[in-house]
Amino acid sequence: MRITHRAVTQTALLGLNSNLSSVSKLQQQLTSGKLISAPSDSPTGTNKALQIRQDQSAVEQFAKNISDGQSWLDSTDTALTTVIGQVQRVRALTVQAINTGSASTSSQQAIAVEVAALRESLLGVANSSINDRALFGGVTQGSTAYDTDGTYVGAPPVGEGITRRVSNADRIRIDVTGPEAFGTPGPDDLFALVGRIAADVEGNPSALSGDLAQLDVALDRLLGAAASVGARSARMGAAGQINTDLQLTLASQLVDVEDIDLARTIMELNQTEVGYKAALQATAQVIQPTLVDFLR
Amino acid sequence: MSSTFGGLNTARTALWASQRGLDVTGQNIANVNTDGYSRQRVELRAMGGTAVPAIHSVSSPVGNGVDASQVDRIRDVFLERRGQVESGRSAQLTVGNEALAQVEAAFREPGETGIRSMLDDVWAGFSALANAQDPTEPAVRSQVLERLDILASGMQTTRATLDQQWQQTRDNVVALAAEVNTTASSIADLNTQIRQATRSGLPTNELSDRRDQLVMRLAEKVGATSVAASDGMVDVTVGGTTLVAGGSALGLRVAGVDDPDAVGTGNDPRLVTAPGGTTLAVGGTAGGQLTVLSTTLPSYRNALDGLARDLVGKINAVQAQGYDVYGASGAAEPLMDDGSGNPVVDLANVNAGNISVRVTRPELLAAATTAPGVLGGPSADGDNADAFFDLSLADGGVDATYRALVVALGVEASVAARDVEVQKVISTQVDAARESVSGVNLDEEMTNMLSFQHAYSAAARMVTAIDEALDTLINRTGIVGR
Repeated sequence: MRITHRAVTQTALLGLNSNLSSVSKLQQQLTSGKLISAPSDSPTGTNKALQIRQDQSAVEQFAKNISDGQSWLDSTDTALTTVIGQVQRVRALTVQAINTGSASTSSQQAIAVEVAALRESLLGVANSSINDRALFGGVTQGSTAYDTDGTYVGAPPVGEGITRRVSNADRIRIDVTGPEAFGTPGPDDLFALVGRIAADVEGNPSALSGDLAQLDVALDRLLGAAASVGARSARMGAAGQINTDLQLTLASQLVDVEDIDLARTIMELNQTEVGYKAALQATAQVIQPTLVDFLR
Repeated sequence: MSSTFGGLNTARTALWASQRGLDVTGQNIANVNTDGYSRQRVELRAMGGTAVPAIHSVSSPVGNGVDASQVDRIRDVFLERRGQVESGRSAQLTVGNEALAQVEAAFREPGETGIRSMLDDVWAGFSALANAQDPTEPAVRSQVLERLDILASGMQTTRATLDQQWQQTRDNVVALAAEVNTTASSIADLNTQIRQATRSGLPTNELSDRRDQLVMRLAEKVGATSVAASDGMVDVTVGGTTLVAGGSALGLRVAGVDDPDAVGTGNDPRLVTAPGGTTLAVGGTAGGQLTVLSTTLPSYRNALDGLARDLVGKINAVQAQGYDVYGASGAAEPLMDDGSGNPVVDLANVNAGNISVRVTRPELLAAATTAPGVLGGPSADGDNADAFFDLSLADGGVDATYRALVVALGVEASVAARDVEVQKVISTQVDAARESVSGVNLDEEMTNMLSFQHAYSAAARMVTAIDEALDTLINRTGIVGR
């Protein structure tokens, strides 16, 4: 084939350009730290990166949900523990009232006053709120679950109740409604029962043993609710652990897909640079001489 | 027997031929770097004596020297044709590749500024609302509306960028048509001049080079090819239609819609002849740009519009299932629409250019699933907000569609980039082959120069030799005894 100087120059230029574009591509990867800067760099990688980023954003939100759910469950747990302590005190006073049937009316009166006071205190705890939402009120918009005479004003348990989403597939219920913890609203719920005990201590001591049996049922119900809250709290803790692990996994996956391997890229850059320099050197040497240099 | 002074004449033709050879070498060297220049060569031909027998002719001729009147352009027509085809194809692929790169830039993926990131923010906002301690609180609700608004304007921006790209590409086609028209009439003019020169027997090499260079430019712009015609002229055809026939050129103009919305209605932008209005099957830059106008950009634009429509439909459907802070059903208050504010959202009118958030009061966001009838009043639950979040997990949901769109774009763009790479190699090979035929090699020119220089010296010596011989004859003979 006949070779001309222009052809040599053109081929040399093409080679130099492709070398330089490899250098520039690597340089861009090094300075941005990203392997993928446009979808065409790696369509499958892009797909994965988009998916991971979406998951990351969701998982971050789940982490917030979990910590919020945990605090709600903790508050519920505290409130239930307080209520259980107070109901046990009511039970002790009731037993005392039954056993001291012959005691003076003044001591019966004292017991009645204390039980009535405990009922108020129980109502207060049952109306605990978190960020102005009634802890035992379900999905009510109001800030209390019971009004002052012990009538339930919260929302009845609907659906799954108040839940926190802890993963794409899993939701954990965080609330306990008043009826579930303190009994179906009506004459037999905890507050009506305690009120009745306060009245019976003075007025109808013979009914107290029946009241005591009902109080034991109410206490069992409270213990059951507390156990359920504890179990859910443990589940929430486990979900938190999984969430933390998932965040780490996703972050490292994203790095694998999107970010450069620094050592490898630097090595590649060096190799490409050597190639580029060799091409420059060769071009400089080949293009220079012609026959003109050797004619007298 | 040859004439007495015949030898001088032979030497004269030799001198002239060598001089001509040196002149052509000089021209070649002068144009070593000129674009489109084809090297030239003196065609040397030995001149014989008369071959017609005559009664009184007693000569036994040895020839009358050398004829150097012909200077040829060295060019391979087949390779030139290949060169035209390949340069047209290169230009077409390059345009497609650049357009896709611009589309990629419009989508800004993967990164923190793209639509994907805005979608994530929206879903996270809904999840935050669903899991808020108090989902009725305005702050957490307005945040969702704000994020939806950012998403809507993000889609609008991307679509506006695509529209702008469409308009710019169309403007480029119009400018290109004007350039093609100028080039075609220049070719026609040069054709005329070449015919005149050929008919008067004048050299046309430089004119032909200039014309062929213009033909190559047309090949790149509209995928034109040339066919040799009489008297050294060429005819230029584009997709089967003759654009330049000898000394006359046909004009081109851009026809078809000038609004991206109207593409696909059978009146897509195209190049037609003027006069005539026949659609041309163009290649080259124009072919690439027309494909971008009628296929590439509209397909991404439509995909984005479909995404916007899908988003509005799904968001409004979930909104309709729930109840707002006042316990009113969300069905009466669609969250997003086409910006018209019509009471009923017509999904067919929604596109990425007009998608907007319709609800302005955060209380109207239907975050609750519990009907007010159940509680005797509005509820504070956030389960419906969680149903909004579920949209992000759905198979075939907006996120999955968008991801598929970006991946399809990536695949198309990377295929286009690879095609350009391959075509570049082919073009370079063809160019090198053309160059190897028509290009100037300085070493060759130097050796030619030496040859002609030596030939000239020898011819001059020949003149001296004959001169001396004649001197002997004229001045030294017949002087015996003087």
